Amino acid sequence: MEYLRKKMLDLLQSMGDFSLMVAKSFRYMATHFRTGDTLIQMDRIGVGSIPIVFLASIFAGLDMALQFEVVMAPYGARALLGKVVTTSIIRDMGPVLASLVMSARVTAGISSELGMMNSTQQIDALRVMGIDPVDRLVAPRIFSGIVMMPILSVSGDFLALLAGLGISMTVGHVPAPLFWSGVRDALTAENLTDAFLKPLFFGFILTSIGCHYGMKSASGAFGVGKSTTKAVVAAAIWILVANFLLSKLLINVWGLTG
Amino acid sequence: MIQFESVSLGYGDRVVVSDINIRVPDGKTMVILGDSGSGKSTLLKGVLGILQPVSGQILVDGENVGTLEEEELLRYRQRIGMVFQEGALFDSLTVGENVGFWLWEHTDWPDDKIEERVRTLLRFVSLEEVIDQRPDALSGGMKRRVAIARAMAPQDPRVMLYDEPTTGLDPFTSRSICDLVRQVQSEFRVMSLVVTHDLHDAFRVGDLFAFIHDAKVILTGDRGTIEQSTDPFVRTFLST
Repeated sequence: MEYLRKKMLDLLQSMGDFSLMVAKSFRYMATHFRTGDTLIQMDRIGVGSIPIVFLASIFAGLDMALQFEVVMAPYGARALLGKVVTTSIIRDMGPVLASLVMSARVTAGISSELGMMNSTQQIDALRVMGIDPVDRLVAPRIFSGIVMMPILSVSGDFLALLAGLGISMTVGHVPAPLFWSGVRDALTAENLTDAFLKPLFFGFILTSIGCHYGMKSASGAFGVGKSTTKAVVAAAIWILVANFLLSKLLINVWGLTG
Repeated sequence: MIQFESVSLGYGDRVVVSDINIRVPDGKTMVILGDSGSGKSTLLKGVLGILQPVSGQILVDGENVGTLEEEELLRYRQRIGMVFQEGALFDSLTVGENVGFWLWEHTDWPDDKIEERVRTLLRFVSLEEVIDQRPDALSGGMKRRVAIARAMAPQDPRVMLYDEPTTGLDPFTSRSICDLVRQVQSEFRVMSLVVTHDLHDAFRVGDLFAFIHDAKVILTGDRGTIEQSTDPFVRTFLST
């Protein structure tokens, strides 16, 4: 019982710390925006992630088109491949896959970097120099995640569609104009809202969780390793939870259709 | 003046040091001595306002550190130079950027003026030639020197804090760091608190001394007071 009580208190403390860090970050973004630091983080978080996100997107597009072709061919529904693949990719598969790949790279990177800074007293040094570490370290990373994730995800979606087109043409023998006609049908305002909105939230989740665990990391290689593992697992879970909640919200409340 | 008035400090429920009473007069260097884990560094965290006293108060130039709000603390810390145990240099920045960091953050000086100040500080610690190098290319002693230069970057630091400035260094380098600490104190007339467990280094840099044992200050005074003490812990410390 005492163990459970302590765990609950730790959880509440952690949630409180996280909320405070996020609130301060948004305040700093609004009042004390650090252009130089933010551009560096946009480069690291966004530009640096291009190869893995694009590679994952291409293979996701190839695989989805292949699987749908196998399922739809017996029903003579290959003509719908473009629409089905596009809808799946831009509403769900693209943002989630890109974010999970990003969490492995970005969340782990942020958590271990800030964890090492904490371990070597660099974060204490910032405080001593009259600089709030949230201002200098956290706010630029969260802002970069929020901005870069949608750009990466939507670019990845486009590549996934090209890969899907390739499979549809070569395996399913679907003419390109027919595939693109399905793509155009699927590019509704509602689906595009999903495509841009979800990665925006996921970008926030994977950077803020990385920062939270990094700033709270215990000292030493073991402590930093443990907090990095926790950060990546937490980010992956929260991305999946947020994906479901956002899907539910967008479908039910806003009345979206496929 | 730095004053600890019946100060207790700790982490969560655990009290690390209790009922501490110490005074560091203007322009003097006090060395806090004690064995590992005795809470010496915790006192520095109290002066910095990173840890709030469980009881008592810490006054720096009459200002009660424990009552400062976060924004006030950030301003207060600008008057304090801190040299961390391993230097705590920002490893993503060059030596020059580390030393000039405070100036870039808190002044609107042009870059050439900041560079001039950075070079002056690096000359002071005899390391101007490493201005463009990264901290990981420096030896332990060089890192401490750069950390001292960085701590001096504000024009008028009132207080200098040193956390085990010579730990892990060879005797020759330790001596040169101690000389530098004395030089900073004599040239800039700052109040200094030095935490160490090395008695030789303590006598090289200190004007006043305080021994911490079992979470309490068991003796304060100048070198003569320390050397004449009959306290068993102090005698053991002196004889090692």
